Amino acid sequence: MAWFTDRHYFLLAVTFYGLSTIYSVFLWRKGFRRDEWVNYILLAGGVASHTLAMARRGMTLQSCPVNNLYEATTFLLWALGLASLVYALMPRFKFICAFAAPVLFTIGIFALMPSLDPPRGPKPEFSGALRSLHAATILQAYGAFGLAAVAAVMFLMQQHDLKFHKIRAVLSLLPSIQRLEIIATRLVLVGFVLLTIGLIAGQQLPRKAGAPYFSDAKVIWSALLWLVYLETLVARQFFGRSPRRFAAAVIAAFLFLLLTFWFTNLLSALHHP
Amino acid sequence: MSVVVIGLSHRSAPVELRERFAFVENKIPEALSELRASGLAGEAVILSTCNRVEIYAATTLAPDAAFARIKQFLIAHHAFDGALGDELYTIAEPHSLHHLFKVAAGLDSMVVGETEIFGQLKKAYDLAFSHKHTGARLNKAFQRAFNVSKHIRTTTNIQRGSVSVMSAAVELAEKIFTTLAEHEVLVIGAGETSEKTARALQSRGVSKITVTNRSPERALALAAELGGRAVPFETWPEEFERIDIAVSSTAATTHILDRAKLEPLMKRRQHRPLLLIDIAVPRDIDPSVNELDNVYLYNVDDLQSIASDYLKLRQEEVARCEQIIAEKVAALLEANKIAASLGRS
Repeated sequence: MAWFTDRHYFLLAVTFYGLSTIYSVFLWRKGFRRDEWVNYILLAGGVASHTLAMARRGMTLQSCPVNNLYEATTFLLWALGLASLVYALMPRFKFICAFAAPVLFTIGIFALMPSLDPPRGPKPEFSGALRSLHAATILQAYGAFGLAAVAAVMFLMQQHDLKFHKIRAVLSLLPSIQRLEIIATRLVLVGFVLLTIGLIAGQQLPRKAGAPYFSDAKVIWSALLWLVYLETLVARQFFGRSPRRFAAAVIAAFLFLLLTFWFTNLLSALHHP
Repeated sequence: MSVVVIGLSHRSAPVELRERFAFVENKIPEALSELRASGLAGEAVILSTCNRVEIYAATTLAPDAAFARIKQFLIAHHAFDGALGDELYTIAEPHSLHHLFKVAAGLDSMVVGETEIFGQLKKAYDLAFSHKHTGARLNKAFQRAFNVSKHIRTTTNIQRGSVSVMSAAVELAEKIFTTLAEHEVLVIGAGETSEKTARALQSRGVSKITVTNRSPERALALAAELGGRAVPFETWPEEFERIDIAVSSTAATTHILDRAKLEPLMKRRQHRPLLLIDIAVPRDIDPSVNELDNVYLYNVDDLQSIASDYLKLRQEEVARCEQIIAEKVAALLEANKIAASLGRS
């Protein structure tokens, strides 16, 4: 089985995510009415393969596998997938898998692009505990933001159905909108704390002499992202922003993160010295 | 010995006739003794509810003879002197077992899938059993009926959802709020419908209820009954800062709550979700308030529509339930046949 590399395991994981996405479409069309485990099992299969892929890569590198865009993306997805499985065990939260699967599948397909994982020597150019802490906490924060966006989508769907008297709102086995809002808020808070820790750790990392820090694209982008999530939390907690607007802001912030993460990473001299 | 059923229900007879044949619970053992002493049945169970009066009997008589004599027994027992036609139905085996299973599962009830009948049937059986009026045939038939009913409830959607306006309102509240225990309810108008809705909410955990009514005496009386408090009708908008659910059912001819009135109240509530249940006709609440963020307004038609959809969903499940019942009845008949061939009744 030596030919079965970590990328093959990841391909298998993405296949599971794909199957889960297809199954999610059926669940959605049926209005999330039946309480069942099929989608959970599919997603669990994906996360298990995904874990093997990351473990293999980590053992090969002898460090946390967060050294290039492929590894960073797969780490983010893994955090999102694992958190979805944990949250799905809460009462009436099983359908979070149906909302998370399309995100996992879409980003998973993107991560499989060979250019994100260029060949390199036996050891990564950069390693060390602080670097691993920086990358891992930030990527876990992105995972938490992703799951918050998933909960926010569930909230908006339920809220819309309740507002416009759609019978699906009552027949579906989704959680109450109040609960979804609480979960989304908590996930944003957890993500924000992790992001803050990750950014502080990043600031402590050794840099090449004379390398710009505050003008680096990734640093500016990270600071902007931090401010966006700070504003989202403060507006909700202290200025009474409505749950609907809060949910929309959480989704918009995560879309911004997704659409600009890879681009700013490529522009960053600190991440590509 | 075969199982036969004779009776009348909401499907065959009006309430005026059903009440003439109803059995008082403490007189049932006596009636069963009488029935068995007459030699009509070796075993018997009498089910008497507001929607049906049925005698389940295990008899060695041919079905036609048994039906004629049990009918005579019923007429004589209740001293009925009117005319009786198709209102009294008779069912012989194997359809009698099929009927019993359907009754236990709530498929023959006025509200398809309701579970109250299960308890009533169990009580009727327990009463007959405790007075030793049942034997191997009825014991087996009723035990199987109870098992099938449980199986149907867990594997189908037959009893899912709310089929009344009040329970639909409660279900909606549970889709908005995580636990109802933490949320306060304002009842505007102390009518019967408001009271029923408030009681339905209480049954799901609501503990704080405030009542307001044009006549303060009625508000006080209802508040006392519900264990809540009463507030003057002139000051109820002030309650909106605290409450999360409002049930309105006044006799007002114009809207008592409109967008202009609610908008500033929502700001004071810091945009917490608010469920408004307007069960008054004419409506108490201006429909335009539903356009406000975090306001969920449902009127009696919306609630009725939810209840009807649930009923439709239940009716779609009937075919699945019938299939399960047919299989279980066939299994019971096969078991009876084997028992008979081995010399057991």
